[in-house]
Amino acid sequence: MVEFLSLPLSVLIFPGGLFALGLGLLIKGLDRKVAARLQRRVGPPLLQPFFDLIKLAGKDSLIPAEGHAGLFRWVPLAGPAAMALAAAMIPIAGVYRPSAGLGDLLVLFYLLAVPAVVLMLAGAASGSPFGAIGFSREMTMMIAYELPILLVLLSVAVAVGMAQGGAIALSLSDIVAYQQVHGPFIADPRMWPALLCFLFFLPATLGAMPFDSPEAETEILEGPLLDYSGPLLGVFKMMSALKLVVVLGLGITFFFPNGPDGILGLGVFAVKCAVLAILSVTVVRVSTGRMRIDQAFRFFLKLPLALGTTSLVIVLSGI
Amino acid sequence: MSLISRSFLSRIAARSPWLYRINAGSCNGCDVELATTAFLPRYDIERLGCQYCGSPKHADILLITGVLTARVKDKVLALYEEVPDPKVTVAIGVCPISGGVFRESYAVAGPFENYIPIDVNIPGCPPRPQAIIEGLQKAIVLWADRI
Repeated sequence: MVEFLSLPLSVLIFPGGLFALGLGLLIKGLDRKVAARLQRRVGPPLLQPFFDLIKLAGKDSLIPAEGHAGLFRWVPLAGPAAMALAAAMIPIAGVYRPSAGLGDLLVLFYLLAVPAVVLMLAGAASGSPFGAIGFSREMTMMIAYELPILLVLLSVAVAVGMAQGGAIALSLSDIVAYQQVHGPFIADPRMWPALLCFLFFLPATLGAMPFDSPEAETEILEGPLLDYSGPLLGVFKMMSALKLVVVLGLGITFFFPNGPDGILGLGVFAVKCAVLAILSVTVVRVSTGRMRIDQAFRFFLKLPLALGTTSLVIVLSGI
Repeated sequence: MSLISRSFLSRIAARSPWLYRINAGSCNGCDVELATTAFLPRYDIERLGCQYCGSPKHADILLITGVLTARVKDKVLALYEEVPDPKVTVAIGVCPISGGVFRESYAVAGPFENYIPIDVNIPGCPPRPQAIIEGLQKAIVLWADRI
């Protein structure tokens, strides 16, 4: 196991930055391919997201006349930066252990909110009414899914913390280490409601089909992204690819981090990411329609909230 | 070195043409054909890397259907300006080419080529999906030369 890589290296190259970007784009390509096959189409090549990104780098970037040019141009860069940092905080069992200096679970939780904030600011800065609608919907979705995911996070942290004799374990490395000794949480019935709640959270935070109303291209023309073009749009694509890896990696850390050492462990991690993405994003998005924003909001305040609470109560009561 | 890598990158970029549809006063026939071409498994154009986008600012290839009516003329020309360079325009159906059955109407502003350069014409009323895909492939070849 590589105990510590130097901080800039882990944020920029592995496992943040370049590695996470490559993995994220590959999973996005797999997602499009599998979605096409589920609809009995041929589908794009596996490397299509890479082609898209290279294409966008060579296009013009238009700045809208009625928008705020400075904010419009610089705010997208905060997205990939925050996500590369977050990707460096995700441990990969047997391969990579983030250094304690990067921060704990709470820092990661706040970093996860950055892409939504970036989309909101971008939508506001573009000066277009569709961007403003996207802004308000993004904010509504964020309020809806933050509470259930916080409950999932607490369930896992408290379960590990109580087993260690303390109250709450906020270090991701501790969570991984606990499951390597005591078996993964996916096999622990106490955590099944939390796992289900996490599966609802995934498409919401990634803006996938049943919960994609902030960026609905058929009704508000991709909302905040409407006015972006060329390299700046590419920055948003990079942000969503990195976020995909961070959120999938977080799920794997919480529920099933076990894996072999070395390069094989890396492969197992990538396969787990791909399987989780296909089950919770691809299959769901090809088989459902889009929820209205008020329906999605109410949905998250019912079932996922109840599931998250159930897990937390069971864990706290120590059964 | 820069020359080689540039042609390599543009060959890669040519595999990702994003499409934007403008209905400039069509009877909806060509639009239905376009939707069919894109979404039916039989004529899946996503295998060429194509993708419909909601915003003209994301687009590379502009698909125009319908006669240019006097009422939407300014808006269509404004939309054309919104598509970032390099771009390719494709006229789909006989209407944007000549006006079709509407050509002498007082409500029609005239053939598209009087206003914006059209790169590929796909005649038909409506054109068959195979013809649309062939036209798209020609447009992609043109587009690859421009990036």
